[in-house]
Amino acid sequence: MFYVDLAISGIVFGCMYALMAVGLTLVYGMLRILHIAHAAVFALGAYVTVLVANASGSILIGFIAALIATPLCGVAIYRLLYQPLLHYRPDVPMIASIGLLVLMQDGFRILFGEQGVTFLKNPLAIETVDIAGITLNLAQIAVLIVTIIIFLALHLFTTQTRIGVAWRATVSNPRIAASFGVDAIRVRYLNFAIGSALAGVAGGLIALLNNFVDPTIGYVVSYKALAIIVLGGLGSVRGTLIASLFLGVIESYGTIFIGSYLNRDAIAFLALILILMARPQGFTGARTA
Amino acid sequence: MLRVEGLSCGYGAVRAASDVTFAVPERSILALLGPNGAGKTSTIMAIMGHVDVHAGRVLFDGEDVTRRRAVERARLGVALVPEGRQIFADLSVDENLTIGGYSFPADRDRDKRERVFALFPRLHERRAQLAGSMSGGEQQMLAIGRALMAEPRLLLVDELSLGLMPKMVDICIDALLKLREDGMAIVLVEQNTARALAIADEVCVLSSGNVVFAGTAHDAREDRELLTRFLGMTERRRA
Ligand SMILES: Nc1ncnc2c1ncn2[C@@H]1O[C@H](COP(=O)(O)OP(=O)(O)O)[C@@H](O)[C@H]1O
Ligand SMILES: [Mg+2]
Repeated sequence: MFYVDLAISGIVFGCMYALMAVGLTLVYGMLRILHIAHAAVFALGAYVTVLVANASGSILIGFIAALIATPLCGVAIYRLLYQPLLHYRPDVPMIASIGLLVLMQDGFRILFGEQGVTFLKNPLAIETVDIAGITLNLAQIAVLIVTIIIFLALHLFTTQTRIGVAWRATVSNPRIAASFGVDAIRVRYLNFAIGSALAGVAGGLIALLNNFVDPTIGYVVSYKALAIIVLGGLGSVRGTLIASLFLGVIESYGTIFIGSYLNRDAIAFLALILILMARPQGFTGARTA
Repeated sequence: MLRVEGLSCGYGAVRAASDVTFAVPERSILALLGPNGAGKTSTIMAIMGHVDVHAGRVLFDGEDVTRRRAVERARLGVALVPEGRQIFADLSVDENLTIGGYSFPADRDRDKRERVFALFPRLHERRAQLAGSMSGGEQQMLAIGRALMAEPRLLLVDELSLGLMPKMVDICIDALLKLREDGMAIVLVEQNTARALAIADEVCVLSSGNVVFAGTAHDAREDRELLTRFLGMTERRRA
């Protein structure tokens, strides 16, 4: 059962990566901007979840607060940072984005301390259940369930609602979509709101899993997410999901076989470098939302 | 329905068309003709609101819409069948039609969809298929159908027949004739000059961004110099 355990813990990590990376790939698909500061939104989600959960005594309220704070933050980043820079070359908003990430991470350090924060009470990380001989803690189960629900909801939203279809149409051809009354600016707000909410949830879930949030939480995940969206075929939600789960599982097995030489993150990057050398166009090579 | 008055448009400092004037009443087709690079697409896209207007006005039902955004023009009843079709390739046929009707209440979609399917039964067969996987002719039907979902009173059609099989061209032209009968005003850009002159009421010919002819289709058909110099027609092809 050991290898199954490993696969499952890898999938749990993959879910986090997926929730984080989807926002990046959505922004890239729509605006062709590498939204590096997404990692700071993710960190914001983690902090808000922990701090509000501690203050209110309820982890659920912590998540709800993160779900309010992160979309607002993402929309503000679009409106105040990217929109004024959209008519410049794409590396201009990208550099601004890196600047914002550094600023926000330092902001977290100054406000909440170098040493980070932890949940006062986190029963989910401790209590475990056995399912068919596999031991999972409740936090891992929460990650799996939340991720499945979110991706199902996203799928239904983008295929079954008018606004969701309009969103995909805007990614496909913004000018023509506008000719039929789809307001690209509103769709961009929606894009940032949803992408950021997912990153916020991912931040909260990782806080739950690690029972710990520090100011650097966004960095490593953001490098990985960038590689993941390339691997997933920039702009593709499905590709991003597959690449994320794949990377999570590779990491888990890697820690067993070469874990004494390289840590988990180093293994992930080694795998990403090798895969991207073999398939620079990514897994799917197509751009579909 | 549509009046274009002294319209000059282009891209930043680049001028694509200068001082274009024409009017398209309802229940009529205006053929906008001219060689490649003449400024036809730019003029159409300026009417839709996608290309910068440097001078002049676009009036829709007497109302000046020159400064309105494309999104607002769509709500007024201007619809576009763009050059190269530009259907949403990753969306299904049904979803493309949904976007066509996006400016209008969703509860009207059903009836309009039925009408589009009556005009193009082929689209009905393909309604669940990804639009990008269809043939060029089917995509053009979809581009027209999508525009019809937008309840247009003015239809802007850029390069109707380009790259289509002759049978598909007939189907699409028949559709335009039906729409004119229903009262629609249509601006048609078309490479096949003979076809365009045969169905148009009015003609405007551009060359290098300037109007070189504006008048009735009947006069255009009789103007030999115009036909040979600007529209690439020889005597034989006319006959
Ligand atoms: N996006 C663009 N940017 C700059 N110039 C353009 C652009 N599109 C077209 N042009 C120029 O505008 C002129 C008219 O082009 P266009 O309107 O496409 O002509 P037509 O449709 O009659 O072939 C051409 O000289 C073309 O090079
Ligand atoms: Mg053209």
